[in-house]
Amino acid sequence: MKEIPQHPEIQLPKGDSVPQWQLDLDKAGWLRRALLARKWYGGDWWFVVISAIILLFFIVIGALPKWFAPYDPRAEVGPSLLAPGEPPAAFVFLTRSDSPVKEFKEVASSENNVGFVVASPASQALREALDELNAEEERQNTGIRYQPRPRRFDTIEEGLKALEDGEIDAFIEASATAKSIIGKYKTLKIADTLREAAIRGFTLGTNQIGQDIFSRLIWGTRIALMVGLSSALLSIMFGVPLGLVSAFSGGWLDRTLTLIMDALYSFPGLILAIAIAAVLGPSIMNIIISISVLYIPTYFRIVRGQVLSIREELYVDAARSLGAKKITILWKYIFPNVIPSIVIIFSVNVADAILTEAGLSFIGLGLPPDVPDWGIDLARGQDYVRRAWWLITFPGLMVTMVTLAFSMLGESLSEIMNPRLAEL
Amino acid sequence: MELDLSTQKLATHENLLEIRNLRKWFPVQKTFLDQLLAGKVNYVRAVDGVNLDIRRGEAFGLAGESGSGKTTIGRLAIGLAKPTEGDVVFDGINLNKINEEELRRMRRRMQVIFQDPMASLNPRMTLGDSVSHGLKIHYPQRDDEHREMTLAIFEKVGLTPARYFLNKYPHQISGGQRQRVAIARALITRPELILADEPIAMADVSVRALLLDLMVQLKNEFNLTYLFITHDLATAKYICDRIGVLYLGKMVEMGSLKDMYQHPLHPYTQALLAAVPVPNPLLKRTQPMPAGEIPNPINPPPGCRFHPRCPFAKEICTKDEPELLEIRTGHWVACHFANTFLC
Amino acid sequence: MPEVKEVLISIRNMTVSYETRLGAVSAVDGVSFDIFRGEILGLVGESGCGKSTLGKGLMRLMPSQGSVHGEIFFGDQDILKFTDDQMRDFRGRRISMIFQDPMTSLNPVQRIDEHLIEAIQVHEPQTNKMKALDRVKKLIERMGIQSNRLSSYPHQLSGGMRQRVMISLGLVLNASLIVADEATTSLDVIVEAKLVDEIKKIRNDFGVSILMITHNIALVANIADRLAVMYAGRMAEIGPIEQLFANPLHPYTQGLLACVPSIEIKDNENLYKMPGEPPNLTHPPSGCRFHPRCPYVMPVCKELDPKLVEGVPDQFVNCWLYQEQPVVNNPESR
Repeated sequence: MKEIPQHPEIQLPKGDSVPQWQLDLDKAGWLRRALLARKWYGGDWWFVVISAIILLFFIVIGALPKWFAPYDPRAEVGPSLLAPGEPPAAFVFLTRSDSPVKEFKEVASSENNVGFVVASPASQALREALDELNAEEERQNTGIRYQPRPRRFDTIEEGLKALEDGEIDAFIEASATAKSIIGKYKTLKIADTLREAAIRGFTLGTNQIGQDIFSRLIWGTRIALMVGLSSALLSIMFGVPLGLVSAFSGGWLDRTLTLIMDALYSFPGLILAIAIAAVLGPSIMNIIISISVLYIPTYFRIVRGQVLSIREELYVDAARSLGAKKITILWKYIFPNVIPSIVIIFSVNVADAILTEAGLSFIGLGLPPDVPDWGIDLARGQDYVRRAWWLITFPGLMVTMVTLAFSMLGESLSEIMNPRLAEL
Repeated sequence: MELDLSTQKLATHENLLEIRNLRKWFPVQKTFLDQLLAGKVNYVRAVDGVNLDIRRGEAFGLAGESGSGKTTIGRLAIGLAKPTEGDVVFDGINLNKINEEELRRMRRRMQVIFQDPMASLNPRMTLGDSVSHGLKIHYPQRDDEHREMTLAIFEKVGLTPARYFLNKYPHQISGGQRQRVAIARALITRPELILADEPIAMADVSVRALLLDLMVQLKNEFNLTYLFITHDLATAKYICDRIGVLYLGKMVEMGSLKDMYQHPLHPYTQALLAAVPVPNPLLKRTQPMPAGEIPNPINPPPGCRFHPRCPFAKEICTKDEPELLEIRTGHWVACHFANTFLC
Repeated sequence: MPEVKEVLISIRNMTVSYETRLGAVSAVDGVSFDIFRGEILGLVGESGCGKSTLGKGLMRLMPSQGSVHGEIFFGDQDILKFTDDQMRDFRGRRISMIFQDPMTSLNPVQRIDEHLIEAIQVHEPQTNKMKALDRVKKLIERMGIQSNRLSSYPHQLSGGMRQRVMISLGLVLNASLIVADEATTSLDVIVEAKLVDEIKKIRNDFGVSILMITHNIALVANIADRLAVMYAGRMAEIGPIEQLFANPLHPYTQGLLACVPSIEIKDNENLYKMPGEPPNLTHPPSGCRFHPRCPYVMPVCKELDPKLVEGVPDQFVNCWLYQEQPVVNNPESR
């Protein structure tokens, strides 16, 4: 075979020159790389971006609740069970047309009977009016106390009939309803307003105590994130080193630890958390501890499994043949390749921790009852599903969204953290 | 910039590596019940009594098919595995008799180039870190020189511009470049012995010649000794001075390049050489191939292990295992009838 | 080599492209050639040349993000226009494929006879089981496997035997073309040599065409009638094997033949060290894809793609050395 001449531009035996497009690509800044990432990762890039934005949103809210929450979550700032956006209605009290009563306090003494439709907002309006009057009297130290006898009627018609008949002295009703119905009752009149209508309602309504739901959600984010992230970090701090050590040393240490972890792992999560929380008692720290114990076995198992499989890889053998010490191999060769799985579990862990914490609070074993928390809101709102759906819908949505965001992040990270996909 | 590696001058033995009666048997995993009932444990006899010497500065090729034990011998030779029986003597030092820390220190003098460059590089370490790790382990006090030495070794193996490759990860470069990185990593501590475990088997055909050439050049420049493991007798020819052929854990023939390729005396070697395809359509193979396939290494055939497939087998072959004898100077064969092939 | 050159499959302008994370990759780029009835065609190339993709594309075994364009004529029908049902009937019965790893291409929980009988029954449902078993037995014995091994599972057979079972799966339905995609790469050299002999014998006995896809050019030198060399998704050269070895036209073929090691001992024998590496197909070189490594590179090679033309009778080459070069403006502009 004839002699083949050399390529005019390449000298032998220097191996491969780097193609120009690769050198050019290196000059691209990080912004261009981030934008290029959209092309590289396709659908997963959107996933990461969306979940990152949602999470950022939550973290900002959780970090600066005072900026976002209009009211103190513990304060009873409005009438109870107010629908989202609904301004508190005006309430009036009706009397007989011939009654000389001008102000409500005239019919509010303990000898009076005041009627209203059972379980309607009127009862709360009455209570608030009485509280206000009583507070005023206390301030002036008069010793007068307003406490009329409440009479409950099934319908407004019955109540008005009783008013006509003289059984009660006054009837409380919403201003709008009263105005529309007063025409039928010739002998009755609207005496005075009991409470003015407000101009603005509460964004997401109020709960049965009168706390602003929106503010509670904001402050609840803070607690949820705190508990979720802290317990996840605590789990990592214990689970990962144990997994590393156990897999790397093997022998009886490995067997013992695996046995303990498997025993812990076999408990249903919520029940274990309940048990620990019941023993430790309600406080934020104890909740974090009990939830973190739940996840330590998961980190242990995954890390241990990863270490066992990575130990068989050729580059670990190569490190041994270089003469590296065992601890160096564990730290520089095995651990960096275990990190991706840890990150993924972390995301799912936080989501699960938030759910578990909500579940514990729901049962009543969670945070102290005065802490604004989604779980407690859910628990308290269950009885009001039909009447006041906003009580559980919004906390439920928040829990779902945060869980979703963390899970999405975890899933998309699992694709992206694979270094082979970072090809330029 | 060169580190003063005059510690190398301490070595005085002519044979850099000596292997005596090496055996490596792997127990076959059996369930507890089986063990109870059957009583004995079966072993995979990967290496079953191998002797060989490698002189300083030579390239010794260890050839064989799957199950021959060549990879296991390689790992035993540099102490990555412990033998079941037998000795590995590196420059006069018996690897069995030193403790772990001493063995770890000795690793500087014997390095490995693995078959799969992608798998042998840590995917999370930059190339610069991977290559200079050997320096960090064995010369930690000279860390200001590490970067310079890494750049120098990159240039030497043909990875230019060297600065470009320092911060790259293995998946960002091509296959041929990765194998060069593996070669660089093996050379940076100026070892004496290099175990090359099928180093070009996974490279592209057009790139293999370049890599082989590089390895030969480096051997001459740094006075290296190679233990070159391969299944491809054609490529072994370009780099090795001597070749040993293994079959089922035993050495069947060993000799110089010329002896082995031009006068193979063992029927298995003859078959192996005949089986290698020749890139010439006018030359068709005439020699028939041995019947059957490689038997199970758990129960090797009695007597000569090749006898069930050997076209020349006689009764003695089924009973007596032939010894590896020096039929001619420097040419060893394990066959009862080797003399009949001498021309 | 049969004298009558009847065309079995005619591939025209076949392009297979994938959507990868780094962009569109055309793994096979405008390849055209014919496969004749009863011939053994060796398809040789390195990593990334597209030979395996071409083999799979012939059977339309592409993954969902790949697409095949062009025309593949089997007789007078264009395979690429077949419906899914037609394609299913086609695969196995007309073209059959052998893959690299026989362990994973056979179903580990199915016995060998079940494999073969199922193949028959899927394509020829009217055959009764006894007749099918009979056919299978005869075929297996011709392949050199004893019929008592028919009731074994794949893991109980050796690598060489498994590959022969794969070949039988192709022959049991009288396929006209067997595509062997690196069928011997995972086997030991002696078993490989025997299998290659076997393949030649099968072609002689059954008259089936065989497309041998491999990176080992020496392997096909011994049994192929014609050789096709691919580089970076394109056909570099194709022609009768003895002619091509004696006088390779394309610089890549020349280089490839010069860098294949051989076991003959000659003095001063050096392998040709081809510079560079096969290109990354997400960023293929402009013009002729081989130009960065070509010792005869000319200015036109960097700008324009050559076409596959007949360099000498019967031998087709894709290189500007053998074609009319169009005038290139501003060759220094690069």
